[in-house]
Amino acid sequence: MKKTMLLLLGFTLLFALAGCGSGGNNETAGSGTTNAGTTGESDKNAEKAEEPKNVKLRFAWWGGQPRHDYTLKVIEMYEKKYPNVNIEPEFANYDDYWKKLAPQAAANELPDIIQMDISYLSQYGMRGQLEDLTPYLSNIINVSDISDNAVAGGKVGDNLYGFNAGVNVVNFQYDPALLKKIGVDKLNPDWTWEEYITLANKAKAAGLFFDTGMRPEVFFGYYLRTKGQHLYNADGTALGYEDDKLFVDFFSQTSGLVHSGAVPNPDYLAQVKGVEDDPLVKGKAIGIWQWTNQFIGLQQVAARPLEMQHMPGPDRTAGLYLKPSMYLSVSKNSKNKEEAAKFIDFFVNDIEANKLIKGDRGVPVSSKVKEALKPILEPAQVQVFDYVAWAETNSTPMDPPDPVGTAEIINIFKSYSEQMAFGQIKPEEAAKKFREEANAVLAKNK
Amino acid sequence: MKIAWKNHLTGYIFIGPFVLGFLIFTLVPMFASLYLSFTNYDLFSPPKWVGLDNYVKMFTGDPKYWKSLKVTFLYVVGGVPLRLLFALLIAVLLNTASRAIGFYRTMFYLPSIIGGSVAVSIMWRNLFGDEGVVNLLLQALGLDAVRWFGNPLAALWMLIFLSVWQFGSSMLIFLAGLKNIPGSYYEAASVDGANAFSRFFRITLPMLSPVILFNAIMQTIGAFMTFVPAYIISKGEGGPLDGTLLYSLYLFRQGFVFSNMGYASAMAWVMLIIIAVLTAILFKTSKFWVHYESKGDS
Repeated sequence: MKKTMLLLLGFTLLFALAGCGSGGNNETAGSGTTNAGTTGESDKNAEKAEEPKNVKLRFAWWGGQPRHDYTLKVIEMYEKKYPNVNIEPEFANYDDYWKKLAPQAAANELPDIIQMDISYLSQYGMRGQLEDLTPYLSNIINVSDISDNAVAGGKVGDNLYGFNAGVNVVNFQYDPALLKKIGVDKLNPDWTWEEYITLANKAKAAGLFFDTGMRPEVFFGYYLRTKGQHLYNADGTALGYEDDKLFVDFFSQTSGLVHSGAVPNPDYLAQVKGVEDDPLVKGKAIGIWQWTNQFIGLQQVAARPLEMQHMPGPDRTAGLYLKPSMYLSVSKNSKNKEEAAKFIDFFVNDIEANKLIKGDRGVPVSSKVKEALKPILEPAQVQVFDYVAWAETNSTPMDPPDPVGTAEIINIFKSYSEQMAFGQIKPEEAAKKFREEANAVLAKNK
Repeated sequence: MKIAWKNHLTGYIFIGPFVLGFLIFTLVPMFASLYLSFTNYDLFSPPKWVGLDNYVKMFTGDPKYWKSLKVTFLYVVGGVPLRLLFALLIAVLLNTASRAIGFYRTMFYLPSIIGGSVAVSIMWRNLFGDEGVVNLLLQALGLDAVRWFGNPLAALWMLIFLSVWQFGSSMLIFLAGLKNIPGSYYEAASVDGANAFSRFFRITLPMLSPVILFNAIMQTIGAFMTFVPAYIISKGEGGPLDGTLLYSLYLFRQGFVFSNMGYASAMAWVMLIIIAVLTAILFKTSKFWVHYESKGDS
């Protein structure tokens, strides 16, 4: 009975949220335009020059416990520096974060400062939820030590909807000691996919997993780029590659490794509860395919020397790109946009703050901050900084930010790659179905 | 006249908060969602009218929708009868006189008090892990361990077991029903030489049938709306291979993960209709098996 009531309540809430949204949205358009008016802003400027007004800012981010801990310290540091500013933190893990943000957007109550992901940047930006940060550059957000390229990573069309919070690259992160166990002393830095398969089978023969699988949208995306193709077309209205053979080639390979046992199946991975539980950490897998900023946390938990290896080739440079690990955005409904921009400036440019952040949100974009951090970095962090520096000259420009609907496409991707891994569907059929379903989602952007 | 009006006013004031709450938080949102179900609404931009598109897509263009319906029906058909059976069995056992009866009743009801919560679901997840207690028990019995998270059907059974284990509320209602059956019926039956078996089937069950109907309806509705355990156990995804993608979980994903709020609203309305139809069927069939004493027809 109690459960029934609770669920009823939950559904009422769903209806309620859906209901309120339609009214709230019309207001967004209205208040948005008035706020953007230049007179309003210069007035506020004048006020501030006289005496600092008390401001409350909400700052939302996703992450694990270590990130929450140091971010709270950064906030404390900021509040000490600007006693008139009070920052209210809102944090969650990645999945819950987006589920919370969507209704907030509908209710026109987004936090002032939002940590933003590339998969959602278009969705929130193009639908009028985020402030274009271009007018804040130089006067509030100092970009003199930041390359134009790094800043441009937050652009959707002509608007800068997110400020690059740090740089990331994908690679293979592994335990060299376990690699020796399968009789390989060193990975060839210019390895190819064929060599990767051979090594994976060797690991299998030695009773180890070679890796824990590849997130399809990230690594298939990389694979496509090495073939001069892209996951999405330029305007985000359809898939960007024409030939399903690329899909078949890539996923036959990855699901083949699951079938042969060189890579754990989704069932096994479903039980991995967090990085502490990861097969690499437990010494059951040689490595992980993931983003460079995740190396630091992995290294911490594994507590033994780990190394990084480039992506398999050929044509690695065409495939690799520097990606903003995440962005900091200002919401359109914020009443203190300038104050929010000031906090972003602090977050990316302040050296003391970055001594706490230490590249957990990607390698800092400011060259000054990078320099200042070097002497205090721990070995794992140095590895990441060096790796990103190497990638700067060995990569090609990133694709435009993911189109609207990416969350749904990632889910379709995941579902088919799982079915292929379990052998329930052939890659040929999955390629066709994926194309149909993904294009149906993307067609809404036309 | 005037006094009556005043009396009414007092009444209205007393029910006012409920009526207001009902209107604002239930009725208006319900109709808003009915409207939204005919639109394409992504939470961000104003809804766009699309007519029946959402419903058409649901029935013709969304294999996952059918999958979630199938999973939900399996969950209801597999779980509700088992749960009722279990609840009835325990209720009959607890209806006997024993000195520690209070203790037993509390213990058996306990899972339902903490039931449905996040903590229980997490515990359940751990119990059924590859190296969890359940598999250790199976192995101790000489059976093969089951990969509960790898096989869609096994994962669904894991959810069903969780719901059966939380039988307490229906058990309490059964218990109350049992206490209402006059002892004289049993005495008379014993005098006539009826054994325990026929006493149960000829007296207990018919006398209890209105309670069974009530429980069956409540449990069916509840089971249809199950969300929390599937959400927690599958980490919000409904896996493996959509094996635990219960209807409400898929609805939630469409609404809040993919921002297809119009589609989610349409799903909610179809669910309402399904539940209404099922309840009606249960009521209709009840005249064949539910026995009401007041009718005096036996």
